[in-house]
Amino acid sequence: MNDMTRPLDPPYDAPDYGSTRLRAPHEPPMDPPADLLDVPGPLVPRAFVHDGDNDLTTHGRSAPLGEKMIVAGRLLDADGRPIRDSLVEIWQANASGRYHHPGDNHDAPLDPNFKGIGRTFTDAEGWYRFVTIKAGSYPWQNHPFAWRPQHIHFSLLGNAPVQRLITQMYFPGDPLLAIDPIFQSVPDPQARSRLVATLHLQTGIEAIALGYRFDIVLAGAKSTPVGI
Amino acid sequence: MSDRTPSQTIGPFFHEALRWPEGSHVQLAEAGKRIAISGRIVDGAGAPVGDALVETWQLSPLGRTPKAAREGSRTYGFARLETGKDGSFRIETTLPGGDVPFLDVSIFARGLLKALRTRVYLVDEARVRGAKLPAALAASTRLKTLVAVPAGDAEYRWDVRLQGDGETIFFAF
Repeated sequence: MNDMTRPLDPPYDAPDYGSTRLRAPHEPPMDPPADLLDVPGPLVPRAFVHDGDNDLTTHGRSAPLGEKMIVAGRLLDADGRPIRDSLVEIWQANASGRYHHPGDNHDAPLDPNFKGIGRTFTDAEGWYRFVTIKAGSYPWQNHPFAWRPQHIHFSLLGNAPVQRLITQMYFPGDPLLAIDPIFQSVPDPQARSRLVATLHLQTGIEAIALGYRFDIVLAGAKSTPVGI
Repeated sequence: MSDRTPSQTIGPFFHEALRWPEGSHVQLAEAGKRIAISGRIVDGAGAPVGDALVETWQLSPLGRTPKAAREGSRTYGFARLETGKDGSFRIETTLPGGDVPFLDVSIFARGLLKALRTRVYLVDEARVRGAKLPAALAASTRLKTLVAVPAGDAEYRWDVRLQGDGETIFFAF
């Protein structure tokens, strides 16, 4: 709805990403009806998330394989205000680059101690925090030698439908970023760089886990109060 | 330029992470007429989109913004569901209030670098055209792609075509 926000996102039709070919609409998007439901919500009850849902390293009988890490950051709106009490959901491959998912046929081992699924709510300042392991890269058949850079998928509800976002967090220094058509589909290099976490040692746990910071900025929501 | 975080595709491996219990059965605080909307999502070749995530958001039967649930873990007014391998989906909900009831719909899938946003109206096309719409939308020959077809008293059919002939209208955002 805001013209200034449009160039930030990738186009639907991105020829280097083969799966867009039959799924990208051909018709230009139309202006939505004025009564598009830009109202606060959906409101997810706190009981939806359980203690420990944000620690992906404790969901098995013992610790998962991989480099233990913390990813923490703030969920903000376009004016820099915190988005409070908002659901953050993540999913990722294990350290070998295999998802705990029946559709993943990559010939890499499953880790019985890692499902790669986490949930949390942001706090009063918009902070979230996950304990996990670094996701491995994996081949994905976009072309015969294609591998995805290491990444964690993020799903954000914000606190109004206009803020709804699904995105991916990448790691600094990954050599696959320069040739990944999904990452490179974001046209503006500044915007692209906001998909890359920042190494931040103090966010980690001393002698246990490496720390990364990843702040996420959602669209503004004119009808939405700060936090709900 | 805003410093908003850009969108990336949901990819093919989201199912267990984003699956909500009873996600396709919308609950609301207010009672009303229960209905179901069924359909199929297909791509530009007419092949099923069997790995999409569909979310809907709507008003209550009294035309109000859904409230926060006082008890339990259910989110009022909101559906989240996966398409089956054949591209099919089925949403069970309560008929929203208002003269021209509708559900706002978001579609996420592998191959979509950004969500598609659309709407399904639950009244006939003439009444939709009579609603307050942007001029381009009101004049569009494709408006019928936003209109569900009744299939009995409480059942509706609504198919989504991502690309090509009969392409569904998607909104800019």
